[in-house]
Amino acid sequence: MSVLAPPLAAEVVLPVSTGWLIAGAVLLAGCFPLLWVCLRRSILEALVAVELAGTITTLVLLIIAQGTHRQPFFDLALVSAVLSFGGGLAFARFLERWV
Amino acid sequence: MNVADVVVAVLVTVAVLVGVLSCIGVLMTRNAYDALHYTAPASVVSPVLLAVAVVIEEGIGSQAGIKSIIVALLLIVLNTVLVHATARAGRIRDKGRWALEPNEKATIPDR
Repeated sequence: MSVLAPPLAAEVVLPVSTGWLIAGAVLLAGCFPLLWVCLRRSILEALVAVELAGTITTLVLLIIAQGTHRQPFFDLALVSAVLSFGGGLAFARFLERWV
Repeated sequence: MNVADVVVAVLVTVAVLVGVLSCIGVLMTRNAYDALHYTAPASVVSPVLLAVAVVIEEGIGSQAGIKSIIVALLLIVLNTVLVHATARAGRIRDKGRWALEPNEKATIPDR
């Protein structure tokens, strides 16, 4: 009996929930109005749109993680929630006087 | 399809609708301060509904359930701070200072 190479494990196929992914796609489509606001409106309204887009992106990452049943993807949503807050706060600070 | 699946489907649908309507609300307003109000439903209602849906599917003790609850709490708390910081930045940008002017009243005019 050979001990050099163990037999290859059968490829594990994780279940994908189509409903969750469709929900994520619909929610992501909500970013198009925000893109329009960023392009056409004042800089303060654009900042509001960017902040909301950060929230929407975080929710979409959460939905994708659940839809694909991959636990590590939930960390992406966690990181996105924190970083979108930091980014928005930095934009707001610079918008006060310097931009 | 059992009862839990139906509840999860309803929760996710409502969460997505709230998020999309918030985005449309920001598009429809003509004032940044009004638009700030439309960020609240997407940051409070949607994360809570999605977290409940994940918890129903995976269980509250699961890694997915705990992380989705943390994400919901983070979004609720941090968005509150962010909205205040944005409104403050807008006022300082417009008026040059955060405090009220001597003759300025902190009342909302009738529209």
